[in-house]
Amino acid sequence: MSSTIDVIESRLGADWSAIRAARARTAAILAQLDAAIGSLHDANYSIIVTGSLGRGEATEGSDADWLLLLDGRSDPEHAILARAIRSRIVEVVGKNVGRTDTFGDIVASHELVHYIAGTRDSNENLTRRILLLSESRALTNPLLRERVIRNVLARYVIHDRSVQSRSGRRQNIAHFLLNDVVRYWRTMTSDYASKMWERDREGWGIRNIKLRFSRKVLFLWGLLACFSGDLFAPSDLYDVESEDEYFSRLAELIRAQTDVSPLELLARAVLQSENDSVADAIFSSYDHFLKVLSDPDARKKLEAVHFDDALDDPTYADLRDASHQFREGVTRLFFDTHPKLPQLIRDFGVF
Amino acid sequence: MRPIGFSTGALAKGDFALGLDAQRNVPGIDAVELSALRDHELPTLVDAIGSLDLDDFEYVSFHAPSRLAAMDEETAFDLLLRVPDACPIIVHPELLQTPALWRSLGERLCIENMDARKMTGRTVSELRTLFDTFPEATFCLDLGHARQIDPTMISAILMLREFGDRLRQLHVSDVGPRGEHLPLGATARNSFARVARFVPDDCPIIIESIIAIDAIERELDTVIAVFDASLAQATA
Repeated sequence: MSSTIDVIESRLGADWSAIRAARARTAAILAQLDAAIGSLHDANYSIIVTGSLGRGEATEGSDADWLLLLDGRSDPEHAILARAIRSRIVEVVGKNVGRTDTFGDIVASHELVHYIAGTRDSNENLTRRILLLSESRALTNPLLRERVIRNVLARYVIHDRSVQSRSGRRQNIAHFLLNDVVRYWRTMTSDYASKMWERDREGWGIRNIKLRFSRKVLFLWGLLACFSGDLFAPSDLYDVESEDEYFSRLAELIRAQTDVSPLELLARAVLQSENDSVADAIFSSYDHFLKVLSDPDARKKLEAVHFDDALDDPTYADLRDASHQFREGVTRLFFDTHPKLPQLIRDFGVF
Repeated sequence: MRPIGFSTGALAKGDFALGLDAQRNVPGIDAVELSALRDHELPTLVDAIGSLDLDDFEYVSFHAPSRLAAMDEETAFDLLLRVPDACPIIVHPELLQTPALWRSLGERLCIENMDARKMTGRTVSELRTLFDTFPEATFCLDLGHARQIDPTMISAILMLREFGDRLRQLHVSDVGPRGEHLPLGATARNSFARVARFVPDDCPIIIESIIAIDAIERELDTVIAVFDASLAQATA
């Protein structure tokens, strides 16, 4: 089945070969990972990947951000399994997870479900929770991933309701989730500054570029998922017998988006806008981003570029320009061309 | 009023006569499921079924073996053909290896949704595939299994929404981490209450909670309270 991105690419006569290549590379790596760790299936946990593999955007230098998501009894064996998973994943992708300890570890569903906002939530927990929603795939036991996501969304949607409208109009914006999506986007941008400080700008270039593209696309996914009730609702969403059923269906509608990659969900919104120049600005620039990232030499340059020389570095400067095109495209989509998004952003995006 | 009663296997594992007698005169009980969950129980139960006194039960269903160890599929099927026509035959999807065989049961074939240990029949989409294969089959919604797959019960509500016209009976129990059927705990009661309002008033309830015989009335009252509370909420 062709994706919405393929449909738009074909309509525009564009060539977004890097997006297609990244998707194919992701599928190949996931198949290898499945072969490597499929035997570690267990009813109490799911081995999850996030990051580029979760988004379907793996390139030459991608690592595998993985989690052992536990939703059941604790068992010391899980730590031993986590070590086995780590070594098998490294054998496939050739490198370990990043330095922050957010990934490559056991994650209990309890914290993801119960510590949403409030004093017990943490940067790490917020990150894992939003990435589970926006860019995760299960290597084993997909039903467990789905179960945990449903529980998280129950907190966000079913158990958090506004006072009923006087007009009787049903609340179709998941405000709690929207606030956390915005909070996560701002956390990513703040953490970028924090890492600049802590690491004395080491590796800043690639983090900066990712912030402009692949991190931003997570935010876009979050906004679109929160607006699902307006953008992607089936015609019978309101054909319900009770408030409880309605919010259950709204939660399920948002859950369905957790199986859609951020770029694909963005494409579905772009298709609704029926604006070719917006589509071209967004996907041509993103395709360029993935093309550069899949070039090992360019990636190394991005990792090594000095902050003070940034605009003189052709690789960085080129991607920075492309990111402006991407930003322009999504800004026009959200503020101008889409039939519903400008009003939604105006009503819920800031105040 | 909906018929309600216990699975014989839940009250007396492997002893259908005791499981039947234990609930026979309990006020409020007018349904029973004859359980041959382990295949070696099947021949004995089928041989006895004609002589069982089932007059006290308005609704009687028959649970086929969950897996086959001592006999092949065709032998099990032939034995199940001897179950009285009025009894729906509750089956786990993994038993249905030869679809043509089981399709011949028509609507007596009653497919149950599965827990997380199984590889099919767990979700709406997996059930959809099964009902495509068995278009006349009816549906046994196991609330405990559905809750194990999705504690929010959204999946159970969606199952009722999509397969409600096939619904033949409910299985009700809590389900433990190893898939064991347990008495209803507090969280299960709350979860089931969310679904109860979508279940037709006349849909039979078979309780699968594994309990001691002296706990029958307490568990029965607990289950009835879940569904009565939902009814009161719906009519308030």
